[in-house]
Amino acid sequence: MNDDAPLLEVRNLVKHFHVGGGLFGGRAGVVRAVDDVSFSIRRGETLGLVGESGCGKTTTGRCILQLERPTSGQIVFEGRDLTTLGEDELRPVRRKMQVIFQDPYSSLNPRMTVGQIIAEPLAVHGIVPDPAQRAGRVRELLGHVGLLSQHARRYPHQLSGGQRQRVGIARALAVEPKLIICDEPVSALDVSIQAQIINLLEDLQAQFGLTYLFVAHDLSVVRHISDRVAVMYLGKIVEITDRKSLYDAPLHPYTKALLSAVPIPDPALEAQRERVVLGGEVPSALNPPTGCVFHPRCPIAVDRCRGEVPELREIRPGHRAACILA
Amino acid sequence: MGVLLEVENLTTEFVTRGGVVRAADGVSWDVGEGETVALVGESGCGKSVSALSIMRLVAPPAGRIVGGRVLFKGRDLLALSDEAMRQIRGREIAMIFQEPMTSLNPVLSIGRQLTEGLEIHLGITPGEARQRAGELLAMVGISDSERRLGQYPHQFSGGMRQRMMIAMALACNPSLILADEPTTALDVTIQAQILELMKDLSRRLGVAMLIITHNLGVVARYADRVNVMYAGRIVERGTARELYANPRHPYTLGLLRSVPRLDEPRRARLDPIEGQPPDLTRLGAGCAFAPRCAFQVERCAVERPRLVPIGGGGHVSACWEAANLDRAVARSGAAT
Repeated sequence: MNDDAPLLEVRNLVKHFHVGGGLFGGRAGVVRAVDDVSFSIRRGETLGLVGESGCGKTTTGRCILQLERPTSGQIVFEGRDLTTLGEDELRPVRRKMQVIFQDPYSSLNPRMTVGQIIAEPLAVHGIVPDPAQRAGRVRELLGHVGLLSQHARRYPHQLSGGQRQRVGIARALAVEPKLIICDEPVSALDVSIQAQIINLLEDLQAQFGLTYLFVAHDLSVVRHISDRVAVMYLGKIVEITDRKSLYDAPLHPYTKALLSAVPIPDPALEAQRERVVLGGEVPSALNPPTGCVFHPRCPIAVDRCRGEVPELREIRPGHRAACILA
Repeated sequence: MGVLLEVENLTTEFVTRGGVVRAADGVSWDVGEGETVALVGESGCGKSVSALSIMRLVAPPAGRIVGGRVLFKGRDLLALSDEAMRQIRGREIAMIFQEPMTSLNPVLSIGRQLTEGLEIHLGITPGEARQRAGELLAMVGISDSERRLGQYPHQFSGGMRQRMMIAMALACNPSLILADEPTTALDVTIQAQILELMKDLSRRLGVAMLIITHNLGVVARYADRVNVMYAGRIVERGTARELYANPRHPYTLGLLRSVPRLDEPRRARLDPIEGQPPDLTRLGAGCAFAPRCAFQVERCAVERPRLVPIGGGGHVSACWEAANLDRAVARSGAAT
């Protein structure tokens, strides 16, 4: 396979959920959780996917992992379209794609020891069939994530939040994946621990040549860890480019508003800072606005924005935004 | 500006399976009239317990306030009868929580939840209460208030629910609002809306606020003074400007350094505070932060530092090395 080819290509991904109309009534409708999203990730790269709750960033991740079957579109991983594969064909592919969740406590089985949690994928995928060798591999993995071998005997509730997230990372690493989808991996952790986990993720990426899709709402963290960044709003990518262009010269008014909403820990700077406070709230994906979905909250919207769906177009080389005024 | 609330040596303990935990260990701080004060620290540092203790909402038998005084307008709240305390709670001191959905009653309409407190505390008629409820919703930026009063919490978005909580807090014209992580559960753009709203209301109505948060960024713009807590104690306090510009406790410094900042060039690596927060059942005689501290000296392991003044303007720090910290910071700043 060509090494320059992207590891993952998401093409025109659409995921609709049908709601209401069931036993408890409610108006039947379609939530357009992900609405025609395309991007690619190169090997060894980190793509940040940012947006507010309900923008479709987590659903996008779940569609890539085939935990949700897309309504339409393609998920091309190492040259194969996963949406065409059956469960049996998917199993070996799943080994190559792992996920780290926001809340390590709810994603670790409370009745299993840390050692059992990390060993499970090794046994299930038949990677290390011999139990004694498996214990050795578990110790090695604990070492990779900065835990001690005695942690293998503990239960999740005996660990701190940061340690639990390290266990989640060790479990993801166990199957030697190519791609890891990090879904808000630090947002449930204390500030002083967040930096530890981010440094760890970066070290592991360098050591094992990992590719990350980093889903988060914290723009400062995303800037730190990402090579490229995509901004989502109401199921669509509104801007995508390399890190530097996005943070130094954002083009979409939503990106600008998000950046301006991030608090800076410096009262003197904050006092001088002009803040664009967006009015209103994110509209429902059940009934998205016409035209540009951002227009009801957009500080610079014009009449055309109400009727015309803006195309995600290249405005500067390598910098695409979906705004007719950009 | 007079002192509105003065917390003196507040000590609150919890009995846990692992032993007795001093969640707040001789904590002292105050809030002036109309002032916004922040209590910053990570989970388990005792910041929420401090607020709950003031409201006397620490649940027995596991938790109890074992010492200290909470002087509110000169009266010690810890010495009041339960009945007298009920007159203070919600009326003179109101509280806003992190997750509005869990603090609103899902089966009562928005209107009823607002009017209940008004009728109880102010003794006004249902009609008057309804009118006041409409005004309160308008005050917190919820339009179409007549229709909104008839709705239920699940019909409100997260940001709207937090506005509703603020409206409930303001209902009886309190002089102090305790806001425990008021924006943590909200999206970035909504967070900005709510904080601007709270700041605006506190200025206009002259309400004092205590904001409890783990995020130093959030309070930089809104707090007049900041208290930093670690392992049940206050380790540093100062005006917001002084504390951020000249942190004199290694923990404050660590918190400020560990977060990536959009206003600074991207660093190759983040600078975390190594290690884990301590187990509060097993605190030694020394400084609780010492095992994670880059500046620790021998004395830190055996003797707990007290809060002592640094410079002027009420800046205090509990660190044996506080005086040397600025030089150490300058050195490491030059090195990076």
